[in-house]
Order: sequence, then C-alpha cells, then structure tokens
Amino acid sequence: MSTADEQFAGLRKGLLEFAILTIVSGRTVYVGDILATLAPTPFATQEGTLYPLLSKLRREEYVDYNWVESGQGPPRKYYQLTDKGSSRLDELSAYWRHLTATLEGLGR
Amino acid sequence: MERVVTINLNGNSYQLEEPAYDALRAYMTRAEAALADNPDKAEIVRDLEQAIADKCSAQLGSNKTVVNAAEMARILGEMGPVEGDTGEPGAQAEGAAPRSDDGARPTRRLYRIYDRGAWTGVSAGMAAYAGVDVDWVRVGWVLATIFTGGFTGLIYIAMVFVVPVASTSEELAAAHGAPFNAQEVIERAKREYATFTDNNAPRWRSEWRRQRRAWNDQMNSWRSSTNQRAAAAAPAQAGYVTRVFAGLGAFIFSVITAALLIAFLVAFFSLITTREILGWEPPLDAPFWMILVILGVVYAAVSSPFSALRKASFETVTGERDTNGSNGIATAAIVLIVGWFAWLYVPEARELMEQAYVVIRDFSNYVRDTWLTN
Repeated sequence: MSTADEQFAGLRKGLLEFAILTIVSGRTVYVGDILATLAPTPFATQEGTLYPLLSKLRREEYVDYNWVESGQGPPRKYYQLTDKGSSRLDELSAYWRHLTATLEGLGR
Repeated sequence: MERVVTINLNGNSYQLEEPAYDALRAYMTRAEAALADNPDKAEIVRDLEQAIADKCSAQLGSNKTVVNAAEMARILGEMGPVEGDTGEPGAQAEGAAPRSDDGARPTRRLYRIYDRGAWTGVSAGMAAYAGVDVDWVRVGWVLATIFTGGFTGLIYIAMVFVVPVASTSEELAAAHGAPFNAQEVIERAKREYATFTDNNAPRWRSEWRRQRRAWNDQMNSWRSSTNQRAAAAAPAQAGYVTRVFAGLGAFIFSVITAALLIAFLVAFFSLITTREILGWEPPLDAPFWMILVILGVVYAAVSSPFSALRKASFETVTGERDTNGSNGIATAAIVLIVGWFAWLYVPEARELMEQAYVVIRDFSNYVRDTWLTN
C-alpha cells in the first residue's frame, strides 16, 4: 500500500485536480472539508499543496468561492463549482472512463 | 527559557517562541519564493497564514499562550511544502531550495549540524553540504584517519573549531543550500573575502582589542579579589566568514597558549630542581626567588596577548561572553592531541617531553627528599 503510494505519486498528483473538482461538485465546501474528505484516501494532501491548486482552479474559472461567517474564528472561503468547472468535470470523467476502458481493453 | 516573538497573522496576534518564529519565517519565505510567479501569490500567502493561525489557535488555550518550536514544527509539517503550480513536481516537494531569479536562493555553506551529528556535527554538516548519507562521511573519516596515521583526525579537530554551528533555520537551510556549482563558489569566496576585509576585519580587530581590555580589567578585579565577572552585553552573532576566521584563530591561539604553558612549566620545574633553564644558568648574584618571579612575569607578558586573542576568538565563534569553561576544556583537548602527534612524529618534541618527564620526576624527588623525609 505504502509502496504503491510512493511509486504512483506523479499519477495521483495529476488526478488531484479531478478529485477536488469532484468533491466541490457535490456540495459547497471549505478547505478543511476538502482536506478531511481526502485524508483517508490515496489523494490525502496538505494545505501547502491545496491552496495553490485551488487558486489555480479559481483563476481558470472552474471554481469560485464565497466568504461565509463561521461560528468560531474568521470567515471562511466556501468553494463551489462554476458552470465552466462543471463541463470541465464532465470532460475529465469522460476522458477517465475512456482511459480505464482502453487499459482494460489492452489486457485482453 | 526562550524569547517570545509576537506576530500578526491575518490581523490576529500570536506569541511564538523564537525558534518557532524562525521556522515559520523560513517556511513563509520558501512559500513566497515557490509562488514567485503566481499571480495570486498575495492571496495564497494570506490563506496559508490563516491556516497556520487556525492551527496555532488549536494549540493554545487559557493556560497556554505561546506556541513552542515543536508545535510549530508539527504545524508546518501538517501544512506541507508549498508548491508552485507551474510544474517541477519533485523540485519543491522535498523542501529543497526555493527557485527564484532575484538571487534569493540561499547560498550553500558548510556548517556543523549539532542536532543530527553523533558527536560534533562535522560529518552531518558535510553530508548535508554534499548531499550524501552521513554514514558514508563518518566511514570516510575513520578510514582516512587510519590510513593517514591519525593526521586526518587533526583536520577533524581543526574543523570542529573552524566550521561554525548552524544555529538558526536560515543557517540550516544554507547548510543544505543550493546545487553545487564550482564557479559560483569561487565567485562567492572572492566576494566574501572582499566583504570581510572591507567590513568585518576592522570590526573583528576592534572586537579583540575590546576583549583584551575587558580581560585586563578582569585580571585587575581578580587581583583586588572582588572576582566580578565583567558585565557587558554578549557580542552579536558574527557572520559566517568572521566565524570561520575566528574559529581558525581559536584553534591556533589555543595551540600557542598551550605550548607556552608547557614551556613555562618545564622551565619552572627545571629551575627549581637543577637551578638552570634548559642549559642556561641564571646569574648567581640574583636571589633565587627573584628569578622565579621574573620567569612568571615573562610568561604572563608573553602569553597574555595570545590568551586575549584566544578568548576573543572563542567569544566571536560562540557569540557568548563568558566561555572560560568551554575554551579551557577545548584547550586541554588540543594540548593532549597536539602533544600526542608531536610525540609520534616529531623526535625533538618527544625528547623534550621525555626531558619534561625527567624534570617532573626530579622535582617530585626533590620535594620528597627535602621536605618530607627529615
């Protein structure tokens, strides 16, 4: 498990954007939610990686955020998927299905 | 006990122990360098600060108001290295040198890394500098010491003095530093030598003059048996090159003062037992005690400048004022090691030491015969 985690780091890194778009598509979330959702998965990541990536996704207009007052502490940025992000996610899902189907087909 | 630094993270104040603050500042500097080309740099940095602030708040409570170094290390570990989104996945993931074109890349320097060293941190520092495993460096030292008949061991001891200890996180970063580039090293050496001679040398010279005065004052206060420590602020931590020169000075002056002390003891004992100093017989019309006093005065006069230099060097190296204990121990170690080498490789020194042994034996016989058996 851990060896697979180490060996395929590059693969996961490429798919992290996919994973984040998927999480954001389900509900409006803040960074803490994304980290907590990813923590038990192979995509477990850290703030140091997540903030730059989210900022890139926002710049590309796939996600957007609203400031929401939290019960304790300062207001938080809650992220949601934009229309452009939604079509990007559809594209990615289709491509991913295509990739896995191709890989399975190669084995036969 | 640590000094506490109060910082402002996104509008809230937090109190950090100084090492924690150094670690945080190093992390943020690295983050900003990694995000140098990012158009949203300011926003991301604010987000990171807020995330760190939240994690700090989680550590604190009504009974705990200060974040310590271990907690900050854990927080920054949770944060993970900040990656620029333009690529190079491996480059920054290892917490390696931040890439930026404005010369912010830390210079690589040879430091001793105490925390990771088994003994003095020399090998750990060399391993960090060369980017190899520390065990290889240690094995290298041992083999080299065996094959050179112990000479490499002396180099090691000299390095313990000359190579500064990495004590701040910036210095630790510099110990791992940027990729090795010979041309750059030569350029830097030239530049730093010029800077050193321009700025630091006068400062350092005046520093030891001041030390010398302080030392003389201290001697005077001892004589008047008040035995007060010269109370003055510790000199500020000097720059790398200054510390290297000071370390070299500490080593050389320690050897010189040690040699002078040995010469004085040999002269003293031989004067008492044989009434002559290494073949020279003092004029008989002077009283014997007078000759002993003159010998003591001559020794004090000759050795005090070297002692002052040695003390100044040690204080520049450690950045502390009162290092009598540690520099005394270091000197004793040097006396033993240099003595051992001289015994092995220099026949004259060996002869002198054997003679010293005879002198001391004669002295002890003389004391026994004169005062104990009558």
